[in-house]
Amino acid sequence: MSNSTIIIALSTITTGIMLGTIFSLVAVGVTIVYGSIWMPNAANGQFFLLAALFAWSASVSWGLHPAVAALLVIGISVPFSWLLEILLVRRFYDVPNRNISYFVLTLGITQVLTGIFSVTYGVWSDQFQLPPIVKGVTFLGPFPIANNRLAAMLIAALLLAALFALLRYHRYGRALRAVFQNREAAALRGVDVRAIYRMSFILGNGVIFAGGVLFAFAYAVDLTVAWTMSVTAFAIMIIGGPGSVVGALIVGMVFGFTQAIVSIFASPTIAAFSYLGAMLVILLFRPSGLFAR
Amino acid sequence: MMPKLTRWWPHAVFIFAAFGTPVMLSGNRYFAFIAGITLISVLWSTGMNLLYGYTGLMPMMFGGIAGVSAYSTIGLVAVGWSFWPAMLVGSLGASFIGVILGLPSLRLRGFYFTLCSLVIQTVITLGFVYFVNLTNGDTGISQIPLPGLPGGGRLSGLAYDLVLAALAVIGVILLTLIVNSPLGRRLVAIREDDGLAETLGINVTRQKLFAFFIGSMFASIGGALYAPYVGFISPRSFDVLMSLNIWLMVAFGGRGTIWGPVIGAVLLAPIPFLLQDYYTIKDVVYGLLIIGVIVLLPAGIAGGFKRAPRAAKPAALKPEPAR
Amino acid sequence: MTRNGLGGCALAAGVALVLMGGTALAEDPVKIGFVTELTGPWAFFGTSCVAGLKLADAQINPPGKRRIEFVTIDNQTQPAQAVAAARNLDVQSKVLALSGPTSSDTALAMYGYAEQNKVPFVVPVAAFPQLTKPGSRYTFRIEPDAAGWGYAIAQFVAKKKPGAKIALVYSDFALMRAIAAGLKYSAAKAGLKIEPEIVFPQGSNDATVQAAQVLAAAPDFVVPIGAGAFDNTLTNQLLDIGIKTEQVIHPFGITTQVKNWGKRSAGSYYGTFFDSNLDELTPEGKSFVEAFRAQNDRPPSYLENYCYVTAHLIREALDKDPAAADDREKFRDAVAGLNTKETTSGIPITFDKNGARKEYMYFMQIQDVDAKGYKAKQQFYIEWDPEVIPVYDLVK
Repeated sequence: MSNSTIIIALSTITTGIMLGTIFSLVAVGVTIVYGSIWMPNAANGQFFLLAALFAWSASVSWGLHPAVAALLVIGISVPFSWLLEILLVRRFYDVPNRNISYFVLTLGITQVLTGIFSVTYGVWSDQFQLPPIVKGVTFLGPFPIANNRLAAMLIAALLLAALFALLRYHRYGRALRAVFQNREAAALRGVDVRAIYRMSFILGNGVIFAGGVLFAFAYAVDLTVAWTMSVTAFAIMIIGGPGSVVGALIVGMVFGFTQAIVSIFASPTIAAFSYLGAMLVILLFRPSGLFAR
Repeated sequence: MMPKLTRWWPHAVFIFAAFGTPVMLSGNRYFAFIAGITLISVLWSTGMNLLYGYTGLMPMMFGGIAGVSAYSTIGLVAVGWSFWPAMLVGSLGASFIGVILGLPSLRLRGFYFTLCSLVIQTVITLGFVYFVNLTNGDTGISQIPLPGLPGGGRLSGLAYDLVLAALAVIGVILLTLIVNSPLGRRLVAIREDDGLAETLGINVTRQKLFAFFIGSMFASIGGALYAPYVGFISPRSFDVLMSLNIWLMVAFGGRGTIWGPVIGAVLLAPIPFLLQDYYTIKDVVYGLLIIGVIVLLPAGIAGGFKRAPRAAKPAALKPEPAR
Repeated sequence: MTRNGLGGCALAAGVALVLMGGTALAEDPVKIGFVTELTGPWAFFGTSCVAGLKLADAQINPPGKRRIEFVTIDNQTQPAQAVAAARNLDVQSKVLALSGPTSSDTALAMYGYAEQNKVPFVVPVAAFPQLTKPGSRYTFRIEPDAAGWGYAIAQFVAKKKPGAKIALVYSDFALMRAIAAGLKYSAAKAGLKIEPEIVFPQGSNDATVQAAQVLAAAPDFVVPIGAGAFDNTLTNQLLDIGIKTEQVIHPFGITTQVKNWGKRSAGSYYGTFFDSNLDELTPEGKSFVEAFRAQNDRPPSYLENYCYVTAHLIREALDKDPAAADDREKFRDAVAGLNTKETTSGIPITFDKNGARKEYMYFMQIQDVDAKGYKAKQQFYIEWDPEVIPVYDLVK
């Protein structure tokens, strides 16, 4: 294999992993919240963007080390989600058809955040670039990869693994899955359903924030990223099966790789059409999603 | 079975308001323009209401269908057709395309359909940008000619606004007729529980398709008239945000009522224009308005004032809906 | 007061009012409607433009001259809003002329309105060629058209390395497509090869695979035209994969872009129309740079400059023909007949029959970038007539 071919192959693999892990993270965050409290979070893209922009502020404006900035941002997401839950989210726990109310609510939150970004970040610059967590370049054979990107990929993958372990093995994870499946039965088994609701909202958003920060490390960010991410996250969630973390994870990775692979042979636009087409085909045959419970 | 004549009084008020507003504002082209856009939004939200409020389908590709119609109509006019037949053909074509695209997802229930239509909308927008020969891509189409009139001359100014008013009125009346017909009752049954509806002998898919076609016609006709009114369209005019805004008018106004979405459109459509001077806080105000209403009135404005639906099952007996 | 006294007061008041009204009319400011993107995806460009515009206020409104007032309205980067705002300004505020948009779609929407309603329209930044398509009468575009930028790039490359191979990578947006169309046409005429040509759909995030493909094609130069943050990602990924900085030619570089490309892009080229590092900055240009830097913590680039220059242009047209201040047709003629220079750089401003300007471009090479600004050296300058390429056919 010539050097060019190796380089193209490795770039495909790394792109697949990078895009896949970030999309998986966001989709998992969205699906956790949808699965537990039946909230389709239309603001997930704005939260994603908020995390990225805030990480930029922390590292560029305040001069913190990027790793510290990342932890700070994810840390802030906890009180942020908690506040939202207390003020707005918990009012709807017993409302029938709350998924619709939630969708409207999160659209309202989206507007508010858009408005805030417009007069702050939107005026400061048209694009935002974080300083690298780790400087330098590593060579995988003839293929150069920025250490920063490598770090982001690794952290994303670890986060996903940790999430998976949490949900499968930890007591909280089991309680969450019980609530996903049947909240009445879970309540009967002694699970504090409302506490689980609160925790999943915080966890889901935290994961989205993490995705945003990692995206900001791997790529430059502008305000248009929010909507693209929202739509993609929802698409991955449906295909994977709403409420299924495994589904979101797998479909997210497939998504990242399909884009990368198809674009070797065809234009990036065809790649975009192709995976969207694939999604529709899957929906035709498995309408409730691949891994629906 | 048509409702009694006295029940048509809100329609009379609406007809008066719809035609009266452009006449009142005719001296001021700026406010008249806002009124015109609002009337198109009423038409759109009524169509969305049929689909979402009464059939329980939330089609996120509403904007895409409006766009297909707008682009088709412009294309036909460009090759020499007169506007009105072009609009008809364009709208029918777009509605058929909408049905074909929506077909696979119509088997999906509730929110699955929504999210699937979101993907379809993304594909449509991507298509608008990519197929440059058909749509001029991201550049958009500017200086769209005003619709020609049969006797010569062009539809503009007050006359255009009145045409929009007429369509909004026809749309609302049509929705009222449908809702009060057997078709309407079947659609409501489907909205409430399509599994149950199926067992009752309703051909769910066929009814959904029919509703979808009619709703798409609302979208298409609105789209075809929107283009010359504004004079410029681009893929971003008919993207997912547009669909969401129209849907919001319905959810905010109160789905499942005739007038809720009309109220929603009348309240929400003019806001971006009227708050132009307050651009720093405009989005925040809009967002807070939405949050405020949904927290206080989870079923939307009109829904909050509606009496409890006659055949409502007690919440405890209703099974947790399939996700 | 007695009735007569009241009447006398009223008469006196009436006379005073008429007198004041008479003189007030002469002092009424000339209103120019400035519809620009203050929110939405292009918020940064609109607000930067307004910042540049404001800096011109003191110079264009010295005491003794009739005041020019810019009525600024936000169009939210939405064409429908732009049309509504144009209508508002035309009908309600009865402005003399319209100006303001930086984005091509809002500009095109306003263009339709302006031409139809015979309102002079001075476009400071939007670069779309169709704004001055044959038959345009009321519209004047200050910034060279985007297809022309492609022409300029081709000339630049042909001079550096005749017969070179250029890799062209861009996002599917109107501006980028226009530049690409101009470049492809001109490259063919100049004996340059474009290979590969890669188009990214809107919303793309990652270009690593495409960067690898570009590397494999071994081009002499790479012209990356990304949109927004993707431009930065694309540039970084090209450099990551092994493209050399001297191979990269950015078609345009405003300050925030150059700063984000950063130190690692030292050696790359970018096109511009005004830069704080130009050789021929006039004294006014230098003070403009300083004033802007002091106010906004970054040096201005062509974006802010054009809005600054637009204000001066309008002042000059009104000085040339004071009657034009109240008559749209006269104003239009005054602008059309201008033969002047940009006050900040001395570059000539003249318009052809369609309102397109005689065009020009600089190419700079980045020397260094730091937190406060950047240093670049002027490497190439070219002037051309907009119709040197069939621009209105290339980009519809």
